[in-house]
Amino acid sequence: MTHSVKSDIPQGTLDLLILRVAALGPIHGYAIAQRLQQVSRDVLQVQQGSLYPALHRLERRGLLIAEWKPSDTGRDAKFYRLTSKGRAQLKTETASWSRLTEAIGLVLLDPSGDAS
Amino acid sequence: VTRRRPFRRRGHDAELRAELRDHVERLAADYVRDGVDPDEARRRARLVFGGDDVAEACRDERRFQWVGALGRDLRLAVRSLLRAPTFTAIALTVLTLGIGATTTIFSVVDAVVLRALPFPNADRLVAVSEMEGATIGNVAPQNFLDWTAQQRVFESLAAVAYSGISLEGNGVQEPETLAAQWVTANFFETMRTPPLLGRPFTADNERDGHAWVAVISYRLWQRRFGGAPDVIGRQLRGQLGAFEIVGVMPPGFGYPVGAREATDVYTPLVISASDRVRGHSYGYYLQVIGRLREGVTIDAAQAQMDQLAARLKQDAPSWYRPIRVQSLHAFITGPARTWMLLLLGVVICVLLIACVNLATLMLVRATARGHELGIRSALGASRWDLGRALLVESLVLSLTGAVLGVLAARIGVEILRAALPADVPRVAAIAVNGRVLAMAAITALATGLAVGLAPISHLARRISPSLRDRARGYTANIEQQRLRSAFVVTEIALAVMLLVGAGLFLASFARVSLIDLGVDTRDVLTIRMRPLVGAWNAAQAQRENGGLLRSILQDVQGIPGVETAALVADGLPFRGDVRTAAFSIPGRTFPSALEDIDRNQISPNYFHVLRVPLRRGRLFTDADRQGAEPVVILNAEAARIYFPNEDPIGQIVRFQGTRRVVGIVGNIRHDGPETNWRREGFVPIAQSPTIAATLVLRTSRSIADVLPPIKTAIRSRFPDLALPDIEMLGDYVRQLTAQRRVNMLLLALFGVLGLAIAAVGLYGVMAYLVTQRTPEIGIRMALGAQASAILRSVLVRALRQMVAGLAIGLAASWLLSTLVKDFLFRIEPHDVRIYAAAAIVLLLAGLAAALLPARRAARVDPLIALRLE
Repeated sequence: MTHSVKSDIPQGTLDLLILRVAALGPIHGYAIAQRLQQVSRDVLQVQQGSLYPALHRLERRGLLIAEWKPSDTGRDAKFYRLTSKGRAQLKTETASWSRLTEAIGLVLLDPSGDAS
Repeated sequence: VTRRRPFRRRGHDAELRAELRDHVERLAADYVRDGVDPDEARRRARLVFGGDDVAEACRDERRFQWVGALGRDLRLAVRSLLRAPTFTAIALTVLTLGIGATTTIFSVVDAVVLRALPFPNADRLVAVSEMEGATIGNVAPQNFLDWTAQQRVFESLAAVAYSGISLEGNGVQEPETLAAQWVTANFFETMRTPPLLGRPFTADNERDGHAWVAVISYRLWQRRFGGAPDVIGRQLRGQLGAFEIVGVMPPGFGYPVGAREATDVYTPLVISASDRVRGHSYGYYLQVIGRLREGVTIDAAQAQMDQLAARLKQDAPSWYRPIRVQSLHAFITGPARTWMLLLLGVVICVLLIACVNLATLMLVRATARGHELGIRSALGASRWDLGRALLVESLVLSLTGAVLGVLAARIGVEILRAALPADVPRVAAIAVNGRVLAMAAITALATGLAVGLAPISHLARRISPSLRDRARGYTANIEQQRLRSAFVVTEIALAVMLLVGAGLFLASFARVSLIDLGVDTRDVLTIRMRPLVGAWNAAQAQRENGGLLRSILQDVQGIPGVETAALVADGLPFRGDVRTAAFSIPGRTFPSALEDIDRNQISPNYFHVLRVPLRRGRLFTDADRQGAEPVVILNAEAARIYFPNEDPIGQIVRFQGTRRVVGIVGNIRHDGPETNWRREGFVPIAQSPTIAATLVLRTSRSIADVLPPIKTAIRSRFPDLALPDIEMLGDYVRQLTAQRRVNMLLLALFGVLGLAIAAVGLYGVMAYLVTQRTPEIGIRMALGAQASAILRSVLVRALRQMVAGLAIGLAASWLLSTLVKDFLFRIEPHDVRIYAAAAIVLLLAGLAAALLPARRAARVDPLIALRLE
C-alpha cells in the first residue's frame, strides 16, 4: 500500500476532471475513478459518493451522453462520452482553471507576502 | 450494435441500480485480483461504495432543479422564522385564530346553505308551497290532489308530512320513538333514489288498510336489524300496529336533508276521505316536492301554478292561497340563508384583520431586516431572489397557520354544531370535509400571497439605498410609514365594526334574557309520555289513561327529590306544543280571529310546579273530576279579551263543553321570550280524554338521582312506552334562544379576537417606531426633553391612528348595521350607547397596547441611545 499524502478533489473541480477523462472516448464510471487516480499518480482520491451524482448531473445538463454497451467483463456497462456542448464546456473551464491557478501561483510565490 | 436504454421499461431507477452494481462488481473483482477471498471482496466493495446514499444522491441530481431551489427557499424561510420566535409566535397565533374562525364558519355555512342537495339531478327539484301572507306555508291535501290532477309542468309531484313512530320494546331493545315521514308513493322516484334493498311503495299503498308498509333508513337497518339481509318482509312493531318492511334506503339518504334527528322510517301517506273534499276543515300539513319536466323552467312552472291558483280563487275562494314554486335547495336553505351570510361576513372581517395585521408585522419586519436584505442584495441576490424568499416565508407562515387553524376548526365545528338550534337546515351535515379543507388551503394561500406582497412592493423600490438608510436610521422612509399607518388604521376600523356588532348582539341577548317568561323554569324536569294506550279509542282512553296517569302521578310524588309533580297534555310551554279549540260565550259573538284559544289539560298542581301566579279565583283541586261541574281557568290575556269590563269568575263559557270559569292565572310566553301572550284556557285533565301527556316535576335533586325511579314508576303502568323527550324546561327555552345565543357568543368572540389582533398590530408598529426613533429620542432627551413629553408624543401618535380608525369604523358600522336590523331585539341598529361603548373599549385597548412602547421610549438613556449611532 502506498502511503503518500492523498488529496480530496477540490469542490467544483470534479466536474472538470470527469469531462477531461471522458473526452478521450466512451468510458464507464469505474474506469473514470481509476483513471483519475492513476493519472494523478494516486494523489487524487475520488469519493465514490460524489462520482456518480456528478456523472448524472453532467448527463442531465447535456454535457455527457451515456449508452449501454457490452464491456470487458462480458456484461453491459454504462459508457459516458462528451457531447459537443460538453466539449465546449471543457475548453472554457480548462482555460479559466489555468488562469486561476496561474493567478493563485503568482500570489503564493510573491516573496513580499511571506509573513513567517 | 449499440443497445441504447435497455432499461427504458423499468425506468431510470433500475438503470441506476444496474450501473452502481456494475461498479461494485468491478471493485470486488479488483480486490480478488489482489488476493482477497471472493465473498470478502464483495462485502468490502459494498462497504467502501455505500450504495444507498450514492443512489439517493444520484436521484437528487436528476430531480428538477426548481425543486432544489424551493427546498433551499423553504429551509431558509424556516430558519429565518425560527430566528424571530416572538414574531413567528404572534403571526402564527393570529393566523391560527383567523383561519380557524373562518374555517369553522365556512364549514357551517357550506353545509347549511351552499352545498348542493344529495339527490341525483337535484337542480330539477322544486318545492311547491302555499303562501301564508309573506311566509312559505304548508299545503292542504285537497289542493295537492288538485295540482297533481291538473298540472303539466312536473314529471311528478310528491308530498311529505311529518310523523313519528313509537316502537315497542322487545326484551332486548327498549321502546323508542323514531323520526318518520309520511310520503306519497312517487316520492322515491321524484328524488331519483330507489331503495337499496326491496321496493318503493306503490299507488296501492296509499289506500287505507294497505298502508302498513315501511321503507326504513340504512341506519335503522344496521342498528335495529344488524344489517340482516332478510330484513325485507320483517315487521316493525309500532304501538299502533305493525309495519311490513318493504325497502331499505341507501346510506346517506334522508329527508329532511341532514336533520339532527335523521328520518328512520318512511310510510305511505294516506289522505283520508275527509281530506279529499273541500269542506270546512282546513288542514295544512303537506310539503310538496316536484321534479320539473325536461326543458321547463321554474318560472314556467310558477306561471302554470299561478293559473291553477287563479282558477281555485274563483271556484272555492276560501281555499285560495297564492302558490310559490322555488328550487328545493332555496326552500330548504332559505330560512337560514341571511343568518349564515351574516356569520360569513363577520368572520371575513376577522380574517381581514388577521391578514392586515400580518401584513403590518411583515412590513415592520422587512424594514427591520433592511440591513440583512441589503447585504444579501450586495452579495448578488437578485430582487427576485429576495422577493421570493419573503414570499416563501409568508407562505410557510400562512400554510402552517392553516394546518393549526384547521385543527382548531375541528374543535370549533363540534362546539358550534351542538350550539346551533335544531331547526337549522342540514345541521347534521356540518363537518370539516374536503371542500372545507380546500377552502382553508385557498384562504391560506391567498393570505400568504397578499401578506407576502406587502413587503415586496416596497422592496422593489427600496433595495439599494437600504444599507445607507440603516446607517442613518431615524429618518424613516415616509412612504413605508404611510403604508404601515394605513394598515393599522384599517385594522382598527375593522375591529370597531366587530365591536359595534358584538355590542348590538350582546344587548339584544341581554334584553331577551330579561324578558319575564311567566314561569319559573329552574329545576323543572319534563317527561313526555306518548302515545298512551288507546289512542284510537277516546272512550277507552278516558276510562283507562286517566286512572293510570293519576297513579303514576301519585307514585312520582313520593319519590325523594321530587318536590311537586303535575301532568299537562297539549300545552307544555316552549316545546312548540299548542292545540287550539273553539271558545265562545253564550249570547255573544266574536270576530273569527277570536273564535278559538289554546287548550291545555292539566292536573291540579300544574301552576305550583311552574310557579305561575294565580290572579283571581281558585286553582283546580282533586274535586274537579269527571262527574263534577266542568270548570276552566283562563290566563290573564284571555280574560282581558273576552271579559274586558266584568269579572270573569263564575261566568259560563263554551270550551270543550260548557264550563264555568273558576280562576285567572298569569300569562306565559308560550313560544319563547320574543313572542306575545297567547289566549289560553286550562281544563282539568281528569275532565277530558287524554291520549298523551307530559309529566312536569320540580326537583330538588340531580336528574341522575330522580330519573330512574320515575322511569320505573311510568313503566310499571305503561310497559311499552317510549320516553323520547326527557328534558329540563329551561333547555327548551334555550333551544328557542339558541340562534341569539350563538350570534351573541360568536360576535363577542370575534369582537374580542379582532380587538386583540388590532391591539397587537398597534403595539408592533409603535414598538418598531420607538426602536427606530431611539437615537432621535436620545438626542431630544440630551437636549433637555422631559420623559413625560416623550411619553406623550408616542401616545399622541398612536392616538392619531386610533382616532382615524375609529372614525372610519364607526361610520362603516353606522351604514352596515341596518343590514342586521332583523337580527336585533328591542335595540336600534343606531343606538349611540353601543357605538360609544365600542369606541371606549377600543381606545382603552389601544392605549394599553401603545403604553408599553411609549414607556420604553420615555426610559431611553440618552447616552446609550447616542452610542448606537
